[in-house]
Amino acid sequence: MTTAPESGVRAIEAAAAPTRFARGWHCLGLADKFRDGKPHSIQAFGQKLVVFQSGDGKLNVLDAYCRHMGGDLSQGTVKGDEIACPFHDWRWGGDGRCKQIPYARRVPLRARTAAWPTLDQDGMLFVWNDPEGNPPREEEALPMIEGALDDEWTDWLWYETVVDTNVREVIDNNADMAHFFYVHLTFPTYFKNIFEGHIAAQYMNGKAREDARPRLPEGSPQLIGNTSVAAYYGPSFMTDELTYNYDRMDVRTTLINCHYPIDENSFVLQYGIIVKKQDGLDEKAAMEVANTQALYVRRGFEQDVQIWKNKARIDNPLLCEEDGPVYQLRRWYEQFYVDVADIEPAMVERFEYELDTTRPNEVWEKQVQDNLAAKAAAQGRTPVS
Amino acid sequence: MIRPDNRLADLPMTPVECQRCHATVQVRKSSWQQTSVQWDEAGARTCLERRSSPSGGSIRDTDFFTCAGLRESIAQAALSGEIPMVEGSAPRGGRGPAGAPAEERAVTQ
Ligand code: FES
Ligand SMILES: [Fe+2]
Repeated sequence: MTTAPESGVRAIEAAAAPTRFARGWHCLGLADKFRDGKPHSIQAFGQKLVVFQSGDGKLNVLDAYCRHMGGDLSQGTVKGDEIACPFHDWRWGGDGRCKQIPYARRVPLRARTAAWPTLDQDGMLFVWNDPEGNPPREEEALPMIEGALDDEWTDWLWYETVVDTNVREVIDNNADMAHFFYVHLTFPTYFKNIFEGHIAAQYMNGKAREDARPRLPEGSPQLIGNTSVAAYYGPSFMTDELTYNYDRMDVRTTLINCHYPIDENSFVLQYGIIVKKQDGLDEKAAMEVANTQALYVRRGFEQDVQIWKNKARIDNPLLCEEDGPVYQLRRWYEQFYVDVADIEPAMVERFEYELDTTRPNEVWEKQVQDNLAAKAAAQGRTPVS
Repeated sequence: MIRPDNRLADLPMTPVECQRCHATVQVRKSSWQQTSVQWDEAGARTCLERRSSPSGGSIRDTDFFTCAGLRESIAQAALSGEIPMVEGSAPRGGRGPAGAPAEERAVTQ
């Protein structure tokens, strides 16, 4: 029961965050940053991992701790196709097998460490996490990103930051329509979610908020609104096809919003942006759009983080009819925390939720007008001396 | 364990059959514009539009954004009062088509 009968007070309930980590592809960042010939240390899934590029060019991810006597492979050296441990120079291949012990005649039996399946796609490095230890699921393959590594689009602009809370907070955002207005200073006019299989989509149209518009030089393109089709593919990787509608052109961008858990109480949040170059938008102008958008998205996430830092974990949110399908999104998300054999139909069956933005839009329109009026009044006051 | 949506306590979902292909889904409407649709495997298998979409109904390609036949059936069911709406959302003068706002009627066409 969520209500104490005597008081009528609704209690916030929250079980501890799960210590199991989601099954699925997780992006570790831009692949190029791992191609410097050095081992990289990554805290993820409650463990320490080592990422290294072997001589054959492949990016590999292993448990960082050497099975010999526990040396930290991420402090080691890449030698040929193997990572060499700094402690006694044992050589580990990307497949997790010990290939060589320079001072020994032979490698002992079962000299094998944990290796994560990797995917080097569209300029990003992904690892497949699976508590059951199975290979990547065919049906959860990641989509190719249109425009990634394409000359007609800008290069990735990438940003990452550590957030000290459980990853569920960032997932909830996908269904949380109203926070876009209050936290992100956007104005959603249309909002729909569809969850099915391992995909959780969000369709959102918005209009520019006049009260939050940056002051631009006379004659600059005016932003009117945007359309966004965003979807999580699996538990942590979201692509967002985001088109900005200006008074004189549409600008196509793709935004990646992804994360990987460090442990159950923190995660690395990342986003990437590419912008399509087009008529009236050369390389420099497109890069400018990308930079502006990056700044905007970064502020957006900083605003989220500010909320997450201070909020309570809550398993029983009290939703009104103008809220999105938070519970159904969490039901979808749960599929990644159970064994594949235990995935319930309700977690993966198609669920559609179209929100009624009529009432929120009326209220927000008024708030925008009030803010503008207040701004105008404040500007009318001439400062003394 | 994931809890049920607290809003279902006020109004549960109601089955609606598609007038075109007879697929049955669970529907909830809190207002004329808000719609929740819960599919199950049998419904998904039956839906004609879903089966004939290029990707076979995947949301990846967004070619199956919604089933138009089902959308119309839901609108009809809402207009005829077959599916209840959350209190306060029903148009004045009852739930029949006569009471529905004009723009809503347009949506169902
Ligand atoms: S601990 Fe790694 S080689 Fe000995
Ligand atoms: Fe947010």
